Amino acid sequence: MAGRRILITGIADQWATELARRLERDPQVEFIAGLDSEPPAADLDRTEFIEADLRSPLLSRLIPATEPDTVVHCGIVWYPTAGKPARALHDINVIGSLQLLAACEKAPTLEQVIVRGSAAIYGCEGASPSFFTEDMARKLPLRTRFQRDIGELENYFETFSRRRADVTCTMLRFQPEIAAGLATPLVRYLSLPAVPTILGFDPRLQLVHAEDATGALLAATMNPVRGPVNVAPSGTISMSRLLRLAGRPQVPIPGQLFGPALSRFGRRGLGAGEVYNDALRLLRFGRGVDNTRLREELGYEPRYDAVAAAKDFAEKSKGRSIVPLPGLGALAGRAI
Amino acid sequence: MSTSQDTAGAEAIAGFLRGLGTGIGSGLDPGTAAERAASGLPRGLRDSVERAARRMRGDYHEDEWGFDEEFAEAVFPFFEFLYERWWRIEADGLVNVPSHGRALIVSNHAGSLFPFDGTMITGAIMKEHPLPRWPKIMVLNWAFVLPFLSFFMRRVGGLPASPHNAARALEQDHLVMVFPEGVKGTGKPFSERYRLQRFGRGGFVEVALRAQAPIVPVAVVGSEEIYPLIGNSSALARLSGAPFAPITPTFPWLGPLGLIPLPSKWRIEFCPPIDLSEYPPEAAEDRRLVFDLSEQVRETIQEKLYENLVKRGSAFI
Repeated sequence: MAGRRILITGIADQWATELARRLERDPQVEFIAGLDSEPPAADLDRTEFIEADLRSPLLSRLIPATEPDTVVHCGIVWYPTAGKPARALHDINVIGSLQLLAACEKAPTLEQVIVRGSAAIYGCEGASPSFFTEDMARKLPLRTRFQRDIGELENYFETFSRRRADVTCTMLRFQPEIAAGLATPLVRYLSLPAVPTILGFDPRLQLVHAEDATGALLAATMNPVRGPVNVAPSGTISMSRLLRLAGRPQVPIPGQLFGPALSRFGRRGLGAGEVYNDALRLLRFGRGVDNTRLREELGYEPRYDAVAAAKDFAEKSKGRSIVPLPGLGALAGRAI
Repeated sequence: MSTSQDTAGAEAIAGFLRGLGTGIGSGLDPGTAAERAASGLPRGLRDSVERAARRMRGDYHEDEWGFDEEFAEAVFPFFEFLYERWWRIEADGLVNVPSHGRALIVSNHAGSLFPFDGTMITGAIMKEHPLPRWPKIMVLNWAFVLPFLSFFMRRVGGLPASPHNAARALEQDHLVMVFPEGVKGTGKPFSERYRLQRFGRGGFVEVALRAQAPIVPVAVVGSEEIYPLIGNSSALARLSGAPFAPITPTFPWLGPLGLIPLPSKWRIEFCPPIDLSEYPPEAAEDRRLVFDLSEQVRETIQEKLYENLVKRGSAFI
């Protein structure tokens, strides 16, 4: 497909910006438009910035006017931030997606829609399959607000893909990302000098390396497949091992106190609004998904497995080393 | 041990602490400092310090299920004690456990509070099989929402009981252990001991057929007497969210002491594998076949249970 015209929503999002940057280098891509309510933080050369809110009714005229063959929807907000409190998340994620799809219906040039969705749809359960495959969504109750929002917007996309059978709809279900210095609450949490964890629990985690997160998004844009695809590294790593690799001491806190304790951090240190249930459930139970479809059908082989991603994070974030323990040396000396 | 040896040992430890102190004082992290200081220690101690330091750095292996072989080996002596001294287990028919490739181990289930039968079958394979390997144990889901138990079970090879997990582990050519009776087996009253309950819907047979894995029936005798269930408090169960709340002669009356299992005498017999390779994977859809095979496994285990009860004789001596 030469001369591709790609529209990216939520261009201010770091993953969308990175995708645009890579697409700019591709001579096959004729035109890139980035849509968001605020401009991207980084400079983009030939991406045309369209200032519009996803929730705005203008969208249904804007989108067909750019004549896109591909829409990449990166406008889903995963966690509350300073400007986007938890209340606004539902509006942005669900109503925004609905508006976007309404606009897409009126774009006759459209051939594919790619959504940067979330593996949160599977939930985090103590007793569940250790690796969710794509067909296991909604088998377990959707417990949190964010899960229900993701469930709802996935429904809209399914309906859309049935109505516009000529359009290939790819729903990417991302596990949370990891990389040193990444601006996400989870990475800031893992970078705390001492990391509070839930007493008696050691979740199995599967964190996507930032490079693979972009790689998978790019691969999906270039080689779309129908339906949901899990984006995750192979293997898993336990929280305790990840923290040991990163040289960060664990501070186990009883379950009931963990939420409030993290919320205090959440508002100040983590740059998130209040920590909400999704994060708490992930840090208690963890989640693993199967990435066979990503590797075999989408044709993207993650460069980092779960352990390598954690090791890379550990190595590159070691600079900010653990708090020195001056008392310990003296104590060992005095014991003799 | 003589006094001179004691002094030498104490000096070595003092030297270690001094080295640790200087190491940390000079800016090393505690793990590295401990490793360097350990050079003067006796060999066994030095190995433990080195291993602890290595684990502190996260330098160890976990498989994708969260199984941690080093951890399992470290807690194994406790289960070995239960195996050899507490329950004096005699295991038979270990040749029936394939030494490589996938196989589904199917066993009767008893002993309410903790899957001791699963850990003891693991013990038999690890201690007495010529080519031991750690099986994956399908554990009642409830264990995985409990603090501590959740990650303990996982690190020694437990998985949340789900056909998806069993199928995936079999595809990876693991030994997979299932207890088709589930809670119905563990929560049955003492008067019904060694009477096999319904084998669910035969889901384990479907999984084995799809994965083309042989089924190895196992009969465990002795596990019914460790916590003789004389009652089941549904009120307590609702309160704690447990699938059932056992009342035994010692629990909950003696508090935590009541959790000590009684020292019954055990026998474990592994039966000849049931080969399913003659059926195509689609045979898993055939309800009739699934029920027949499930019943065949159930009868085999039931027969072996009675046989071994006779062989064992008295339950405790």
